[in-house]
Amino acid sequence: MSLPGSARRREIRLAYLLLSPALLLLLTVLAYPIGWELWTSLTDLSPLSDGPQAFVGFENYRRFLGDAEFWRAAAVTVVYAAVTSVAKLALGLGFALLLARPFRGRALVFLAIFLPWAYPAGVSVIGWYWTLNPPTRTAYAPFMGHLKYVVDGAFGGGAWAFVSVILFNIWRGSSFIGVLLLAGINAIPPELFECALLESKSAWRRFHLVTVPLLKPFLALGVFLSLTSAFADLANVWLLTAGRIVFPVIGTHAYWLVIKAGQYGPASALSLTLVPFLLVVLLVLFRLFDPWEENPA
Amino acid sequence: MNPKPWWAKLGHGSLMLLATVYCVFPIYFMLVQSLKTPEEDVFGNPFIVMNPTLENFEELFERKSEVRGFVGDALRRSYPFLDWLANTLFIFVGSVAATLVIGVAAAYALGRLRPPGFRWWRRAIFAAYVIPQTLLFIPLYQVVITLGLDDSLLALLLIYPTMALPFCVWMLSAYFQHLPREIEEAALIEGASRATAFFRIILPMSRPVLVAAGIFTLGTVASDFMIASVFLLTPNNQTITAGLGTFDVALDELAAVAGVNLLAIPVVTISAVFARGYVRGLTAAMVEGA
Amino acid sequence: MAQVMMKDLNKKYDEVHAVKDVNLHIRDKEFVVLVGPSGCGKSTTLRMVAGLEEITAGEITIGDRIVNDLPPKDRDIAMVFQNYALYPHMTVYDNMAFGLKMRKFPKPEIAKRVGDAAEILGIQELLKRKPRQLSGGQRQRVAVGRAIVRHPQVFLFDEPLSNLDAKLRVQMRVELKRLHDRLETTAIYVTHDQVEAMTLGDRVVVMKDGWIQQVGEPLELYGKPANRFVAGFIGSPSMNFVEVTATETNGALWADTPGLRVKVPPALAGRLGAYKGQRVTLGIRPEDLRIASGNDAADYSFDTVVEVVEPLGSEILLDLKAGPNVIVARVDPTVRAKLHDKLRLGLHPERVHFFDNKTELAI
Ligand SMILES: Nc1ncnc2c1ncn2[C@@H]1O[C@H](COP(=O)(O)OP(=O)(O)OP(=O)(O)O)[C@@H](O)[C@H]1O
Ligand SMILES: [Mg+2]
Repeated sequence: MSLPGSARRREIRLAYLLLSPALLLLLTVLAYPIGWELWTSLTDLSPLSDGPQAFVGFENYRRFLGDAEFWRAAAVTVVYAAVTSVAKLALGLGFALLLARPFRGRALVFLAIFLPWAYPAGVSVIGWYWTLNPPTRTAYAPFMGHLKYVVDGAFGGGAWAFVSVILFNIWRGSSFIGVLLLAGINAIPPELFECALLESKSAWRRFHLVTVPLLKPFLALGVFLSLTSAFADLANVWLLTAGRIVFPVIGTHAYWLVIKAGQYGPASALSLTLVPFLLVVLLVLFRLFDPWEENPA
Repeated sequence: MNPKPWWAKLGHGSLMLLATVYCVFPIYFMLVQSLKTPEEDVFGNPFIVMNPTLENFEELFERKSEVRGFVGDALRRSYPFLDWLANTLFIFVGSVAATLVIGVAAAYALGRLRPPGFRWWRRAIFAAYVIPQTLLFIPLYQVVITLGLDDSLLALLLIYPTMALPFCVWMLSAYFQHLPREIEEAALIEGASRATAFFRIILPMSRPVLVAAGIFTLGTVASDFMIASVFLLTPNNQTITAGLGTFDVALDELAAVAGVNLLAIPVVTISAVFARGYVRGLTAAMVEGA
Repeated sequence: MAQVMMKDLNKKYDEVHAVKDVNLHIRDKEFVVLVGPSGCGKSTTLRMVAGLEEITAGEITIGDRIVNDLPPKDRDIAMVFQNYALYPHMTVYDNMAFGLKMRKFPKPEIAKRVGDAAEILGIQELLKRKPRQLSGGQRQRVAVGRAIVRHPQVFLFDEPLSNLDAKLRVQMRVELKRLHDRLETTAIYVTHDQVEAMTLGDRVVVMKDGWIQQVGEPLELYGKPANRFVAGFIGSPSMNFVEVTATETNGALWADTPGLRVKVPPALAGRLGAYKGQRVTLGIRPEDLRIASGNDAADYSFDTVVEVVEPLGSEILLDLKAGPNVIVARVDPTVRAKLHDKLRLGLHPERVHFFDNKTELAI
C-alpha cells in the first residue's frame, strides 16, 4: 500500500472541511440531546420532585417490564406502525404505478397525489380533524358524530380519534412514498421492463418478479422515513387534541409522562426503546442500498 | 399494442378519479369551511360554499387600536399575523438555503471527494433519523438557551436543517457519487479551477437534484408544528403554525383555519411549480451516473 | 505543438500497480496510439499526462516543461473522453466556448474559433442545442470540437469511439485521421481496438499489465512482433500458436509436433539453432496460410481437416485441425471447403514466427 499522494491528501482535507458544517450542526443539535436522553433515562429526574436527581441504573427500563400500560402502548405502537406502513406502501405503490405510464391529465393527477405531502402537515391535520371530528354543530356533524359513536362503542373511547390519526398518517405518507416510488420506477432502466415484457405475458408476474425487487431499496427507504415521521405526526395530533389520546403509542405515552407527570426518567427510557427497532430497519435499508452503491459499473 | 378496451379505459379513469379525490378532499373540505360565514358553517351543505366570504381571512389582518401611553405604539394587531407571515417566510427561505448550502458541501465531500470511510460517514449522518423526536425538545431547549437563542427564530434555523439534512446529504451524495467524473475533469482540463468547475459546471447541471432537496426540506419544515410552538413564545416572534397553535384559537375558530391555509399557499405553489423537478431530481439521485 | 516525454513513469493505487516503468518519447505532431487489453493501464497513463492522476514516480515532459506538478489547466492539453463528458446544461456552443471563456478570450475571437471548429466538424446547425438533443455521433463531434477550439499543444483521446456503433466508428476514425493531418497537433490516443490502433497511429504502443510490450509503426508491430503477446494481440483473427519441438534432421532444423511438421526457414534457422531439442512456440498468421498447390514445397505444408467454415464474404475463415492442433486459416472466398474435408495447407516460409516458451520473446 502506498501513501496517498499530496494531491489526494489535499482532497481529503477539503472533504473534511466541507463536511464539517453538517457535522457541526448535527452534533450541536443532536449530540447533547441524545446524550441527555440516554443519561436521563438512567435517573429519576423530574421537575416536580425537590430532591436531587439520583442515578437509578436500568430501573426505568426494568419497570416497563411489569407495566401493563407500557405493554399496551407497545402493542398499539406495533399495530400503528404495521398498519400505517403497509397501507402507505400499498397506496404509494398504487399511485406510483398509476403515474408511471403517460396518459392525458397525468400532470394534474400527479399534482393531486403530491399535495398531501406538500401541504403543511400542521395545516392538513386540522383539515382531517375537522372532517372526522366536526367541532361545531355543522351540517355534517351528526353523521360524523354517529360514526364516532359506533367506532368508540366497538373499540372503546378514543378509538375514533386514533383511527383519524391513522388515516391522516396514511394519507400523508402514501403521498410521499408514492412520489418516491415514482422516482424509483423512473430510475429503473426501461430495458429491464422491456425485457420483462418479453419474458412474461402476465402483468402480475412482471410486477412481482421485476418491479418489486428493483424497487425494494426505495420501498425500504419509504418505510423507514414514514416510520420516523409517524411519531412526529402523532405529536401534532397530541397538541391539537390537547392530550385527549386514549390510545397511547410509545411516543405519545412518553410525551404524556413528561407533560402530565413530569417523569423525565421513565419518559426518556420509554422513547429510547424505539431506537433499537429503528436501527434494525436502518441496517436492512443500508444492506438493500449497498449493492446498488458499491457496484457503480 | 392494440387499443385498450373501453372497460380498461373506464377502470383506469375511475382509479385516477378516486386517487385524486382521496388526496385532495381533506384540503378542499378545509378550504370550503374557511370560506364560510358562521351561519353557513352551521346550516349549510358541508361540501360546498354558497356565499364565499373572506371575512375569516380578513380577521387575521384586522388592526385593533389599543391605545397605549406612547403615540408610536398606538397601533397593534389583534393577531400579529403579518409578523407571523414574515417570520414564516424567513424561516422557510432560511432553512432551505442553509440546508442546501450545508448539504451540498457535505454531499460533494462524501460523494465526490470520498474521504476514507465516506460510506460510514453518510450512514452515520442518515442514522440521525433514528433519534426519537418526542422528547428531544427538552434537551434542545437547554442547547438553545445555552446558545442564547431562546424565543428566537434563529433557533428554528438551527433545528430545522437538521431534520432535512440527513436525507438531503444521502440523496445528493449518491447523486454526486454517480455523476461521471469526466465532466468535472473536462472542466479542469479546459482551464477551470476546482471551485470554478464546481460553481460553473457541477452546481448548474445538478439543478433538478437541488430542487428535489429543496422541496424535501420545505415539506419537512412546513410540516413541523411542535418545534415551532415549543421554541417561539412571544407573539411577534412566532411563525404561523406556532402562533395559531398557542394563542387561544380553539379548533372551531374559522380564523385559525383560514390562517393556516394562507401558510399553505406559498408552500403549495412552490411545490407545484417544482413538483416535476422533485421527481426528476429524486430519479437522478437514484440512477447511476444520471 | 509539442513533444511529450514519459520517463520511468509509474502509478500505484492502493493494491494495483497500474503503470510500470513506462518510457515513451512522443515526437512533435506525432499520432501515437496506446493499445492493450482492458485494465492494462492505458487510461491511467493518459490521465497522468493530462494531470488527472498523480504520478507515483517518474517524470512527464510536455514541450520542454516538466509538468509533474502542473494542474491540468496549465498543461495546454485537450482531452476527449469515452462518454464525451459534455456539460449537459450548456448548449453546444457554450460547451465548445467554455475553455476559451476560462482563458479570457475576447468574445469575437471565441465566436470565430467555435465557428471554425463547427465548420470543420460539420456541426454548425447544432450549436444551439443541448447535448441531450444530440445523437451519439454528434456528441462525439462536439467533444472533438471542444478539444480543437483551443489549439492545444497535445490532444488526448481516451477511447473516444467506443460508444459508437460499428459503422459510425469507421467513419469517425477516418475523420479523426483527416483532422490530425490537417491540424498536425501531437496526439495520444487510447483504445483497446487494435484495428483503430493500426489505422490511426503513426506509432502504436502495446501495453499489458502496466508494462509497455512494444512500440513501433503499425506494420512493424504486425511484421515483427517483439513477443508472443504482441503477436497475438495485433492482427485479426489472431495468430495461430502451436507448441513444437525444434529437431534436427539431415542437418536441417524442423518444427515438429504430432500432426504438424514444417521446416524452419533458413532466415530463422540460425537463431533457432540454440533451441535444438527444446520446445518453442510456432506462430503463423491465418492470412499467411493458403491451400497448398503444386508449387508449394512439401517442407512448408501440412495436412489438416476442416472443422468449421466461416464465410465472411470477402474471405473465408477455416477452423482446421492438424493432428491435435487447432489452426485458423484465412482463405480466398473462391475456396469450396466443406466440413471434414481434408486440406493441405501451405505457408509463407518468410512469415513464420518463433517464440521462446519461457520469456515469450520472439526468437
Ligand atoms: N482509481 C483507481 N483506484 C484503484 N485502482 C485503479 C483506479 N483506476 C484504475 N485502477 C486500476 O488500474 C489498472 C489500470 O486501469 P486503466 O483504467 O488504466 O485501464 P485501461 O487500460 O484504461 O482499461 P480499459 O480498456 O478497461 O479502459 C486496472 O487494474 C484498474 O483496476
Ligand atoms: Mg480506460
